[in-house]
Amino acid sequence: MSESVEQPELEAPPGEVTAELAEDMQIATGTREPILESAGVSMVFGGLRALNEVTFSLKEGEIIGLIGPNGAGKTTFFNCLTGLYTPTSGSVTLRGAPMPQDPARVTEAGVARTFQNIRLFPSMTATENVLVGRHVRMKQGPVSSLLHGPRFRRSEAEAHDRAEKLLAFVGLTRFADELARNLPYGDQRRLEIARALATDPSVLLLDEPTAGMNAQETEATRQLIFAIRDLGVSVVVIEHDTKFIFTLCDRVLVLVQGELLVEGSPDEVRGDPRVVEAYLGAPPDEVEAQIHAGEES
Amino acid sequence: MSIFLSQIANGLMFGSLIALIAIGYTMVYGIITLINFAHGEIFMVGAYGGLATLTYWVPTAVVARWYFALPIALVAGALVSMLVAVAMERFAYRPLRNAPRLAPLITALGVSVALQEAVRVFYPGATAAIPFPPLFIQGAFVIPIGDGVVIRYTGILLIVVSLGLAFGLERFVERTRLGRAMRATSQDRDTARLMGIDPDRVIVLTFAIGGALAGVAGVLYGSYLNNINIDMGFQNGIFAFTAAVLGGIGNIRGAVVGGLVIGLVRALGGQYLPGGTAYDYVWIFVVLIIVLVFRPQGFFGESERVRA
Amino acid sequence: MSEVTSESASTTETAEAPVRTVPAAPPARHTGRLAGPLNALAPHAKIGMVVGGVLSIVGAYLAWSTFVLNEGAYPERATLTMFVEPFGVTGFRLHITLLGLATIVVALLRVPAKHRIVRGLGVGVTAVAVLNGLWITVEGGGLGAITASDGTVAFGSIVALVGGLVTVLSATAGGLEDKPVWEWKLAWWVEWILLLVVFVLILLLVAEVLTSGGQGGVVNPYAGVVFLSLLAALAGAFAALNASGLLTWVGEVSERHRVFSVVVLLLCALALPFTGAGTEYWMTVASNIGVYAATAIGLNIVVGLAGLLDLGYVAFLGIGAFVAANLSGAAASVIGIHVPFLLVMVISAVVAGIFGAIVGSPTLRVRGDYLAIVTLAFGEIFVRSAQNNIAGLTGGANAIPNIPQVALGSFQFNQSISLGPIQLPGGVMYYVAIVLLVAAVMLVFGNLKNSRLGRAWIAIREDEDAAAAMGIRTGPIKILAFLIGAMLAGFAGAFFAHKTAVVAYDSFRFLESVTLLAAVILGGMGTIPGAVLGASILFVLPEKLREFADYRLLLFGLALVLIMRFRPQGIIADKHRKAELAEDPEDAAKEAPGALPTEVK
Repeated sequence: MSESVEQPELEAPPGEVTAELAEDMQIATGTREPILESAGVSMVFGGLRALNEVTFSLKEGEIIGLIGPNGAGKTTFFNCLTGLYTPTSGSVTLRGAPMPQDPARVTEAGVARTFQNIRLFPSMTATENVLVGRHVRMKQGPVSSLLHGPRFRRSEAEAHDRAEKLLAFVGLTRFADELARNLPYGDQRRLEIARALATDPSVLLLDEPTAGMNAQETEATRQLIFAIRDLGVSVVVIEHDTKFIFTLCDRVLVLVQGELLVEGSPDEVRGDPRVVEAYLGAPPDEVEAQIHAGEES
Repeated sequence: MSIFLSQIANGLMFGSLIALIAIGYTMVYGIITLINFAHGEIFMVGAYGGLATLTYWVPTAVVARWYFALPIALVAGALVSMLVAVAMERFAYRPLRNAPRLAPLITALGVSVALQEAVRVFYPGATAAIPFPPLFIQGAFVIPIGDGVVIRYTGILLIVVSLGLAFGLERFVERTRLGRAMRATSQDRDTARLMGIDPDRVIVLTFAIGGALAGVAGVLYGSYLNNINIDMGFQNGIFAFTAAVLGGIGNIRGAVVGGLVIGLVRALGGQYLPGGTAYDYVWIFVVLIIVLVFRPQGFFGESERVRA
Repeated sequence: MSEVTSESASTTETAEAPVRTVPAAPPARHTGRLAGPLNALAPHAKIGMVVGGVLSIVGAYLAWSTFVLNEGAYPERATLTMFVEPFGVTGFRLHITLLGLATIVVALLRVPAKHRIVRGLGVGVTAVAVLNGLWITVEGGGLGAITASDGTVAFGSIVALVGGLVTVLSATAGGLEDKPVWEWKLAWWVEWILLLVVFVLILLLVAEVLTSGGQGGVVNPYAGVVFLSLLAALAGAFAALNASGLLTWVGEVSERHRVFSVVVLLLCALALPFTGAGTEYWMTVASNIGVYAATAIGLNIVVGLAGLLDLGYVAFLGIGAFVAANLSGAAASVIGIHVPFLLVMVISAVVAGIFGAIVGSPTLRVRGDYLAIVTLAFGEIFVRSAQNNIAGLTGGANAIPNIPQVALGSFQFNQSISLGPIQLPGGVMYYVAIVLLVAAVMLVFGNLKNSRLGRAWIAIREDEDAAAAMGIRTGPIKILAFLIGAMLAGFAGAFFAHKTAVVAYDSFRFLESVTLLAAVILGGMGTIPGAVLGASILFVLPEKLREFADYRLLLFGLALVLIMRFRPQGIIADKHRKAELAEDPEDAAKEAPGALPTEVK
């Protein structure tokens, strides 16, 4: 099917879709208060110290980038934030309340995530994937599931309506009834984002959302993340692609060997010699080029 | 006291038999993470193979002398089981190497039913239990404790052969080139392939060794209990699986210890727990559930590392 | 495989068009084995098909056996050695005649996908000829039985076989087309009538299949081969219909009138006692199938939807049955009270559900294969305990016999009913009750599958970690799957106890769990009709093939292996899983207005 399908629509989500969705989701409180905070989070595996005293704070409506060389502990930090790991010490709080230590409850509390290696439900359609994302926000007990009464139908209709809007938002309307596994790679990543957004998150954690994408798709993803911010969702992005991060984020955190090395605006981070140094293994000029690549765009 | 000691002895004898079967489970699971349900039937087939050899192909004069009959039966049982195990791997499991996990497990169930039924239908008289000739010095000696603890010579044979084979196998896996290939394949099949190991060959070897041991166990079982039936595979297979899990799956020494523990649970549970021997199997299953739920890595297994 | 790719290519061509076209047959260039002969045959495909059809019919009218089978006529009135009743062939010879006629007609007409249709018919003829020929050969002691000996000749099976093969080869040589897609939309009442006719036909076919060959090997020594031969003929006809695209179309029509179809199907199922299958014997067989089908649907929730392999599931049927037995007022029950049946059903289900939750609770910590083993261990503990008459509740080896019949006032469910001139057989009320039970269970399954809960189960099956990351509390939801599945089995168990009147631990052994699992897999995991179909097949076959009773389990084991190897998705593939194998362009043109299908170019 791949040859016959026209190129995906790689524009930003249309404004009216975003506006409508934002109204449905009602996430933004407009306070610019810190939402997600970590205080001195450390994680030790056996003798290995994967994270050391990481402290950060994400404000509402902010996009934060998390970069660092391989093995710097980015994904470990992510897993601490989403309740997959319990930090050895330190605390993670969401709007001041301690983060639950269970992925399902974390999602319920309003933190959604995507995975580095895409983990959709391959034998479900795109719509169904998004509907699963609605799980926590739907009110259907076992009994109403069994009887399919009017309340059930209302909640199904609402969920389908939201799924439709979300698919339109990420530009996958034409794949609504396609199985997730049959989607092109880049679209699978977008579907994962739609599925995460279906949980009405106040914070969205994206684990390498542009891995394996070409320049055009990467740009589309950037636009998409801006639109997600416009929904009122605060975003944390892990990425290798520093250019992508520097042109996307309000603030950038550099994690090296489990330590928070630098934190600041893209410009500050880009100019920091420690960051250049941190990318060991690569010749300095190449790293320089990579880091400054973002300036042109 | 003497009852207790007798039950300990019984438990160890039965347990060492279970251990021998458990090794096959544990090795196969270690290499291709398949619960080879049909392994119990391989054990059963071995017993019938040994019996057929003694009944139909060896003169009775030879069968009457245990020092001839025993090695013949053991080798024949091991060969038959090995052939069946290898054929099973080749025709049932190998085509499903990359299928979803449910598929090989259900195939294993199918193979198990088919093997049991094949013996029932095609082996003369197999619809009922068949007497099995004694293959070792008959009789017993008595340890003079309390009322005396009776130990059968066959039981001693069971323990010696089982532990000897297990020990030999462990040395083989640890010391030889093939053994290293097996360990490498169980760690990471693709990497092993890159290192020039043919995983298919290693897997066949695993099935062959596991099958041979099960065949030996089958013959020993026959000569210990003096009769065999087609149900022996399923039940003892499950016990052996329990033993393998108990000892930490993939671990030969663990399988042996697990087997002995199962033997003791059965013997002592049947003696001392409510319900008596009618419920001895139930206790084994209870142990199985408790271990799987609370310590699925077994006594000797490493706890699984959390994936990122 | 080639047709799959061309089919999907055709979709993309026409995805936007309101009417889907039937793609032209691929140019008949054959490659691979048999390429030479097939290409040579290609220009003469039409003649070949007609010749094949004619040969099939001729074969049907020839003698099939050189001796009169000593157990009597085979089958029914058509003796094998002579041609007694012109135009009056019956049994398999009638089937071959019909298939042959259809072959000739289709070959001569301009019908879309005609080669594919004809191939299906030819396969049917071939299979019928092989089955009967083989059987006569075996029974008659050698090839002489189907050729010539003692002055008689009997080339029927050979001629029919040749006819079938010629048909298949010519059809293949002519080039197999893709399945055409029909877009007819008729007035609603026409479609209703059409569906009604189709469903009644299905009912009659089911009755025919059930009763073919009589009641197992007891009455008719040829039962097995008669039954298999009928199945083969039906399979050929089914393949032909499917190739014509009509089946898909009827499926779409029934999808349009969903509620109507369901109601009519239910009525048809209830009407089975009025057909040839309306004897006490077949009511019993059908009731048993119903009990296992309901149980299998419950298992389908656990295995098919939630992806949790349960190897001890039959224990819940057993628990339901023992609860019902103990509350039935049977003399052997220690409780000795008699509770009304409706209440008994509820209690059985609740008790089974509680045990289901207990058995399911290890899912909180155990996954995959290990979970399967835990469920197996629970199942074995149940059987052992029941065997030992635990707490006097199960009767042990003596079972709990003489369970009273379910009664409505003074009417007992095993009595026969007179409806004016029509006499309905005994056990018909059980059959009716079980049909309603199965319908209810199907409804439960269908409703749950298409709900928040069902999606959560499927998500867990697909990727448990990702499901948890979507906010699904995987633990309770998995236990709920066990609980609901067990409750359904408990319901079925209550029926089981009263229907069979005896409950013994024997009926709930590991092998029964495997059989139920096989029913779910064979029918198609996760689908609603799959479990019913699977249960029907697995419980009808042994009934029908008594001759092979000795080999039953052997064949069953081998069948499991072969299914996993060649068709792991089962007979009725879940729409999700089916798509893994072939993209079926079913949704694209549903909204297309009433349009005639376009002809083959």
